[in-house]
Amino acid sequence: MASPVDQGDDLFESLQKTDEKKLEEKAKALAEKEAAYNEKAKQRLMDLIGSNSTLPVTISSIRLIGAKHTRRSFLDRLFNPILSANRDAPYTLSEALEQVGSAADRLRKFDIYHEGISMFVDRPSPTDPSSTPTDIDVYLQARERGRISLKTGTDLGNVEGSAYGELHWRNIFGGAESLNLNASAGTRTRSAYQATFDTPILSDPDKRVSVDALSSSTLKPWASHEEALKGAGLKYSWATKSGMKHQVGYTGIWRQVTGLAANASPSVRNDAGDSAKSSISHTWVADRRNHPFIPTRGYLMKTVSEIAGWGPLQGDVAFWKSELETSGAIPIPIPGIKGDSGVSLTGGLRAGMLYPLPLGFASTSQPSRINDRFQLGGPTDVRGFKIGGLGPRDGSDALGGDIFAAGSANLLIPFPRVGKDTPLRLQLFANAGRLLALKDRGGNTQKSVYNTIAQLGDSLPSMAAGFGVVYAHPVARFELNFSLPLVMRRGEETRKGLQFGVGINFL
Amino acid sequence: MPPTNSAEDEDTSSPQTSFSRQTSRVRDFFSVPAPVKTLFNSVPILTYPPNDLPQRALKPTRVPILYVFSTKEDAAAGRPSFNPSCLKWQAFLNIAGINHRVVSSSNHASPSGSLPFLLPASASSNASQESFKPIPSNKLIRYAKEHGAIIEESTSMRYEAYQSLLDHRIRSAWLYTLYLEPKNFSSVAYPLYVSSTSSNPLVRASISYQLRAAAEAELLKQSSIIDTDDLYSEADKAFEALSILLGDDPWFFGNEKPTLFDASIFAYTQLLLDENMEWKERKLCRALRRRENLVQHRERLLVRYFGGS
Repeated sequence: MASPVDQGDDLFESLQKTDEKKLEEKAKALAEKEAAYNEKAKQRLMDLIGSNSTLPVTISSIRLIGAKHTRRSFLDRLFNPILSANRDAPYTLSEALEQVGSAADRLRKFDIYHEGISMFVDRPSPTDPSSTPTDIDVYLQARERGRISLKTGTDLGNVEGSAYGELHWRNIFGGAESLNLNASAGTRTRSAYQATFDTPILSDPDKRVSVDALSSSTLKPWASHEEALKGAGLKYSWATKSGMKHQVGYTGIWRQVTGLAANASPSVRNDAGDSAKSSISHTWVADRRNHPFIPTRGYLMKTVSEIAGWGPLQGDVAFWKSELETSGAIPIPIPGIKGDSGVSLTGGLRAGMLYPLPLGFASTSQPSRINDRFQLGGPTDVRGFKIGGLGPRDGSDALGGDIFAAGSANLLIPFPRVGKDTPLRLQLFANAGRLLALKDRGGNTQKSVYNTIAQLGDSLPSMAAGFGVVYAHPVARFELNFSLPLVMRRGEETRKGLQFGVGINFL
Repeated sequence: MPPTNSAEDEDTSSPQTSFSRQTSRVRDFFSVPAPVKTLFNSVPILTYPPNDLPQRALKPTRVPILYVFSTKEDAAAGRPSFNPSCLKWQAFLNIAGINHRVVSSSNHASPSGSLPFLLPASASSNASQESFKPIPSNKLIRYAKEHGAIIEESTSMRYEAYQSLLDHRIRSAWLYTLYLEPKNFSSVAYPLYVSSTSSNPLVRASISYQLRAAAEAELLKQSSIIDTDDLYSEADKAFEALSILLGDDPWFFGNEKPTLFDASIFAYTQLLLDENMEWKERKLCRALRRRENLVQHRERLLVRYFGGS
């Protein structure tokens, strides 16, 4: 017979025992209740706004809380147009919220505040003599990011790895100006120092002016030399509403071809030394792909044009250089699979031209130098060839060319067991390219350019095909391909078999 | 005792063979498998003739090319270079009778980091990589001997002593008067060494600064301070010693033909006595002009090997 004390103990013990299952169920029920409550609150807010969406309101004040270091004049330009004092007609509630929302979006784009700028709306007290019955006050709450941040790390560019240290000083004068100091050393760029000062114009995050200075030294083993660069530039960039980005800038650079290897060819020795380039360039990008590394839909168009040394620009080299890059992707439906199969066909096309111009106000144009000519070939370019593997060569040095065209077609297939949601793909590709030097047509530059462009099509381009694996890491796209060159010209350097590529921008 | 010998042989040889067996197995594992090899051998399917070279590329030459500091026009005409070490070897090749072309260049093009260097002729169209190897100045004597020149080399102690006069005293005075005398720098060194590198004033200013700093560093290697009077007086004494050495002979050390030493002397006398150089601070030039036989030595070499004044 159980004694009363034992029973009491049993009861006590059973109260103390924590039943795992019951706790779990309780927690789940609590979470569900919270979620339901939040849903209801959201729904209520939407109903409220919905039912009052055409309520006429006037915005009497906008307050930004938590922005100690932001300049008043900077914020004025952003918010003044929204204030009702500066407008003739009253808003409806939904219009007002939309306007303030877009202003908050622009604030976010400046990158001086942390994520999550929240917005509150309140009615001013009716006893306030300066308020009208339709007035609302808008409160924006933001948290400023740290002014100075120091970062070190590793970076992956096209076929290059580097380690860098970066100092970023944000919001220097209170108007989202930023100063960026960067020092890096890498496998190919032996040292690079860069300082950039960037500021938005008229409180518009889409319009920016930047001044930059650069000093770097890059190894170019495919042409047996090292190029040292020192220069500065001034750039203005803007973005249109449809998402196209433009950039116009002036750059002045002192280039030095130095550090020649022992077996450098005579042509590279001829081009060794200093040259100064003073040029104006324009870049236009329209990126409508749905993924930067393994797109299944959309297109990318990019053009870069540069004019150097002509007229008042002076310098030591004069040319007009133009480069075009397009790429597109279409999904391929597989008959047996419903919906998006994950298989896509991507294609890319690149072309460029270097047109020599007379220097300054002279009358005859100079031939191009190795610093300015294009290089073609490599794991991110025309696969199946070594870096700088295509084009004119002297001995083992790639001299570069003045006119090129390259294209590729890739079929990206998700692995059968892993599926299309992972960043891993199987790739089948075929790509081709042709890099030519301008022929000498006795001083008639236009004729020689036309003849060389015509020469692009007179025989098959150098091409290679193969298959491989693509991995789209958030930082870069990694590829491991097995390729075979099919057509080449004598002297061009091919890569039979495995080739590894890392980069941001693949053909 | 044969049996033990053979036993020893077996012991020493069997580990070797098993080791070599293992390495060859590893090598086979990493080497290209046979079917892939046949695939590699069958590509590329089509090979076209090589691409044409750009206009600035150097066409293969039959005549060796000497890269020196010079102006384009002077180099085309074969006139003396304006740099002593380049002029020394240019005169040497002329004396040795080696036919060559002269091209103006800069320090960046040289395999040793400084001019001059010689690019040998590519004899045939399918010349191997060897023929493209440029020859730096310290191997030029051997190159000249290989190409049929008869070089007399004096190795006496006197020769070494006088060579050191040139390399230290006269060279220091030359460096000072060319780079560190402000009037001379702007009228002689700037148009010759700096203007030819680039047309941009910022680049030119940077290169001028680098040249002057390098000259100063070079002079500070010899002594802890730069004393101009001391430098000039040492050079004057060196010129006197050389003048006494030459005496009434046409060439140094009583030789019948000029040698490398004559070329070394000529490198400095030509540049100091040449009116086209436009020296403004002429102290060193005057010191040289006082030694009549050195002036005549220069004229003799100029007329005989550079075709007149």
